[in-house]
Amino acid sequence: MLKYIIKRLALAVLILLGVSLIIYILVRSMPVDFIENKIAAMNQGGAVIPEETVQNMKELYGLEDDSFVGILKGYGNWLVKLCQFDFGTSFKYGSPVIDVIRDHMGVSFAVAFIATIFEFMIAIPLGITAATHQYSFRDYLVTVLVMIGISLPAFFFGQVLKDLFANKLGWFPPSGLVDATHSYTGAALFLDYLKHMFIPVLTVVILSIGARMRMTRTNMLEVLNSDYIRTARAKGLKERKVIYKHAFRNTLIPLVTSLAGLLPSLFSGAIITEQVFDLPGIGNIAYKAMIEADIPFIMGYNMFLALLSVLGVLLADLMYAVVDPRVKLG
Amino acid sequence: MDQNNEKLLQTQEPEAAEASAVADNEPLDKNVRLMSPGRMVMRRFFRSKLSVIGLIMIVSLFLFCWLGPVVYTAWGETEQDTSGKVEYTRQEVTYTKDGQEFTFVQVTERGVTINSLAEPDGNHILGTDKGGRDVFTRLMYGGRISLMVSFIAVFAITLFGIVFGGIAGYFGGVVDNIIMRVCDILMCLPGFPILLIIGTLLDSAGVESQFRIYYLMAYLTLFSWPGTARLVRGQILSLREQEYMVAAEAMGYSIPRKIFKHLIPNVMPQLIVSMTLSLGSMILYEASLSYLNMGVRAPYAAWGTMINIVAEDPNILQNYINVWGPPGVCIIIAVLGFNFVGDGLRDALDPKMRR
Repeated sequence: MLKYIIKRLALAVLILLGVSLIIYILVRSMPVDFIENKIAAMNQGGAVIPEETVQNMKELYGLEDDSFVGILKGYGNWLVKLCQFDFGTSFKYGSPVIDVIRDHMGVSFAVAFIATIFEFMIAIPLGITAATHQYSFRDYLVTVLVMIGISLPAFFFGQVLKDLFANKLGWFPPSGLVDATHSYTGAALFLDYLKHMFIPVLTVVILSIGARMRMTRTNMLEVLNSDYIRTARAKGLKERKVIYKHAFRNTLIPLVTSLAGLLPSLFSGAIITEQVFDLPGIGNIAYKAMIEADIPFIMGYNMFLALLSVLGVLLADLMYAVVDPRVKLG
Repeated sequence: MDQNNEKLLQTQEPEAAEASAVADNEPLDKNVRLMSPGRMVMRRFFRSKLSVIGLIMIVSLFLFCWLGPVVYTAWGETEQDTSGKVEYTRQEVTYTKDGQEFTFVQVTERGVTINSLAEPDGNHILGTDKGGRDVFTRLMYGGRISLMVSFIAVFAITLFGIVFGGIAGYFGGVVDNIIMRVCDILMCLPGFPILLIIGTLLDSAGVESQFRIYYLMAYLTLFSWPGTARLVRGQILSLREQEYMVAAEAMGYSIPRKIFKHLIPNVMPQLIVSMTLSLGSMILYEASLSYLNMGVRAPYAAWGTMINIVAEDPNILQNYINVWGPPGVCIIIAVLGFNFVGDGLRDALDPKMRR
C-alpha cells in the first residue's frame, strides 16, 4: 500500500511538471503584457517613463526576454522559487499569490460545500426511488427533471434565477457577497452572507443533482439485480430492509469514491457562476487576473487546480480500496 | 464476438409463437426469426419514449437552423433594421412656485435610425436585439455555429481517441506508458482557464471574430481526447485476449487491420454513447465560451453570444426576455436532446439490458 502511494506521488510530481511547463509557455506567449499596460496607464496620467525604467521593471518581474529560451529560463526561475515554496507575488493584487488564493477561497468553498451537501441529500433519495420503481412514471419524471438540470447552461440559468428571485420577487440580493448599504457584524453579517449565497448555491445544486442522481440510480439497479438481493428477498425480509440495509450499502461504494473526486470542485471555484453573481470567489478573481496577464497568479492558480485534480484522482483510488475490500491496489 | 458477422437468434412475439406451435407439421425454423444486432438495437432504441423525444428535438433543431434561413429570408444574420423608431425618454421635473411644489413628467421625443429592442410583432417574430438585428434570424444562424462546431469537435476528439487509445491498448508496454502519461498530463490541465488564456492569444493574432470559435474548439479537442483514448484502451486491453484475436493473428493480418477492423468495431457501441453524451457538453462549452465573449462575437451570432448581452446590460435582463430567453431555450433543447438520445443508445446497446 505504502509503496503504491509513493509510486503514485512520484508520478503526480511528473504530471505536475508537465502541466506547469505547458501553462507557463502559454501564459508567457500571451499578448497582454502587464508591465506595458501599466506603463501605458502611467503615460496617460501625464508621467513619461524612460525606457530604462521599463526594462528595469520587466527584469524585476522576470519578463525581459520573450524568446523561447528566455521563456524556458523564466520557467526555470519559477520552478526554483517553487521548490522554496514561493509562488511569487501577484502583479495585479500586489500580495503573495498564496495569500490571494487563501483570502478568496473561503467564498468559493462555502458555496461549493453547501451545494454539495444539498446535492447529496436530494440526489441520493431520488436515485433510490428511481431505481426501485424502475420504468414507472416516477422514474421517468425524476429522470426527465434531472436531465433538464444537467442540460442547463450555468450562465443562462443563473441569470434566470437572478431575474426571478432578485429582480422580480426581491427576496434575495442579485449579486455580491455583502450588503454595501449596511455594516453588519456577527450573526447579522453571517445571515447576510447566507442571503447573498442563496441563489448561487441554488444554481449549482440544480445543475449538479443530475449526475449524482443518475450515478446512484445506475449503481442501485446493478446491486438490485445481484444474487444476494434475491436471497434476501427469498428469506422474506421486508422490502425496506432489503433496499436500505442490503442494497443501499453497496451503492455507497461508488458514492464514497466519488466524494474524493469532488476535491477539486470544492476548492477551485466556479468561474462562470461567480461571474454571473459577482461573488468575490477564487474563480472570479482568477478570471480577472487571467484577462490582465497576471503571470504569477495564473501560474499559482492553475497549479493549484492541477494539484487538486491529481490528489483527487489518487484519493479516489485509495478510497476505493478502503471502502471495497475486494479491490487490491498494486 | 465480431458483431457484424454474427446473426443473433430471437424468437418471435410469444402469441405468434404459440399460434404457430399448434401447427406441428411446419418446419421448426419458421418459428424463429433472424434479427441482426443492428435491428435489435434499433428496436430497443425506438421502444424508449425518451430517446424518440430526444431524436425529434435534435432533428427539428437541425431543420430549424439549416432550412430556417432558406425559408425565412426577411432578415440577415448581421442585418440591422434601419427603419428607425421614435424613442421616448421620461423625466420627472420638480419646480417650486409661490411656495408650492409641482411635479410634471417631461417626455422627450427623439428619432433614432436603428430599430433596436423592438417588441415581437409581425415584422420581427422575436423582436430585435440592442443592435437592431432580428432575434429569430440570429437564433437560426447561431444554432448553425453551435451545432456544427460541437459536431466537428466531437468527431475530432473521437478520431484522436481511437488512434491513440487503439495504439496504446494494442501494443502495451513502453508505447502504452508514454501515451498514458501524456493523457495524464492533458487531463490535469485546467480546461477553462487555459481556454481563456488561448482566447487572449487569439486576440493578438488578429483572428476574425467569426473564426475564433473554431480555433478555440481545436484547442479543446487537443486537450479532450485523453478521455476517449482511455475508454478505447481499456476495452482493447480486454478484447485483445479474446479467441477471435488469436484467430486474426493466425490469419497473419496486418497490425492496422487487426486494430481498426477487428478491435475498434467492438468498442464502437461505447464510443457512440460517449460521443452523443459529449455532444451535449460540447454545446455547453461553446456557449459558455461565447458567453464570456471568448468565442463568436457580435455582430455574428452564436447562442452564447446572444445571451452575453445580459451581463452588460441589466435593463435587458429585466425587461427584454425576448432577446435572451430564446437562445437559452435552444441550448437547453439541444443539450437535452443529445442527453436523451445518448441515454437511449446506452440502454439499447447494452447487451445486459433486457426489458
